[in-house]
Amino acid sequence: MKLRLAVFVAGASLLAAIPALAHHSFSAEFDGHKPVRLVGALTKVEWTNPHSYFYLDVKDDKGNVVNWGCEAGGPLALSRAGMKRGDLKIGDTIVVDGYLAKDGSHLIDARRVTLPDGRNVYGGSPGDGGPSDTSAAASKK
Amino acid sequence: MKRFAVTLILLIPALALAQGDGGRRQSGPVPTGPAPRATNGHPDLTSYWRDDGNANPHGNLGKDYPGFKLPFTPAGEAAHKYNLEHTIDPESLCLPGGLPREDIGDMGFQLIQSGADTIFIYQYGTFRDVPTDGRKHAEDPDPTYFGEEIGTWDGDTLVIDSTAFKDSKTWADENADPHSDALHTVERWTRPDAGHLHLELTVEDPKFYKEPIHYQRTWIAATAQHTREQACSENNIDVSAGHLGFGPGPIRADGTRGYDNPDPLPPPPTKANPAKTILPANYH
Repeated sequence: MKLRLAVFVAGASLLAAIPALAHHSFSAEFDGHKPVRLVGALTKVEWTNPHSYFYLDVKDDKGNVVNWGCEAGGPLALSRAGMKRGDLKIGDTIVVDGYLAKDGSHLIDARRVTLPDGRNVYGGSPGDGGPSDTSAAASKK
Repeated sequence: MKRFAVTLILLIPALALAQGDGGRRQSGPVPTGPAPRATNGHPDLTSYWRDDGNANPHGNLGKDYPGFKLPFTPAGEAAHKYNLEHTIDPESLCLPGGLPREDIGDMGFQLIQSGADTIFIYQYGTFRDVPTDGRKHAEDPDPTYFGEEIGTWDGDTLVIDSTAFKDSKTWADENADPHSDALHTVERWTRPDAGHLHLELTVEDPKFYKEPIHYQRTWIAATAQHTREQACSENNIDVSAGHLGFGPGPIRADGTRGYDNPDPLPPPPTKANPAKTILPANYH
């Protein structure tokens, strides 16, 4: 627990040193009062700009499977945060912690991604003003 | 175990350094000494420039006003309200940030000075090329996001005078503050030493603001960085699928975009506490 948290904090603090790449404000799209944890099997990865997306099949409490989208930073931001495209394999079970889209769709902002090997990676777009945004701009207010 | 954790924490930045550009530690050493000069004798502003983190609140044209409250005219107040309630962030639509927003935003940029051209390269493929060849403003220039930009040298200061701006699908800053087609900007760029680039910006817009707005900030030379490909329209489903709302969302009391007190995420999962899906209450 302490180790994983320490690694996540170290990765987030690394982001404090990188340029902001935000394409839009976090709060224009996501609700900071609706945190979400998704645990599911990876069905698709879009390693794209202006955002990367991970899609997960997630079982709800009634056993129904719903496919969720997880919006993350673009490839440049993710690679700087310590995640590479090869870290994500279709069928892997991953954990994504983030915030629900305001429009109520099955979309969250991926602030923290826990990979199958246990690593926690910061998934937000640096400079978007979202929770845990530790970009240079946000960290020196 | 503790030693391993410490080693890993120390290793992460080192790994990132090995991965390429970006980051203060990855920016390369900040050059020292006097500003370099071009063959024409003027200071050479060429470098990648990263934010120094001190222009706070970031992204806010009104950073130096009490309560960050800009001196809106009634028309400006109405335009601001309209932007908040009816416009999607133009940059998320892959439109140029334009002026003054690109001077106020929190990203770095590449500046290339070559002869009578000063070229600014921003993220997502946005650029501007400012001529310093003695030309004057045209009589009826086409409105653009950066306006018609005319560069001149005032001693060691590069002065960029810009008029003829778009009046829609553009924000003056990250917080959706507006500007009209009456916008006139004057940028005074100096390189006081090799490692720093300073801007004194004056924003005049009598339709929307009661007085000229003065804004200043500094960037730091990041010699090891360069702009990278970021195709804005590659997969812009925030817009194409209609996920993105109007305006910048909540503005914090400190004048930046975002929630003052967001709800925390659950703690990272562990073997002792394996992760389970958690959805908001009453979510269907």
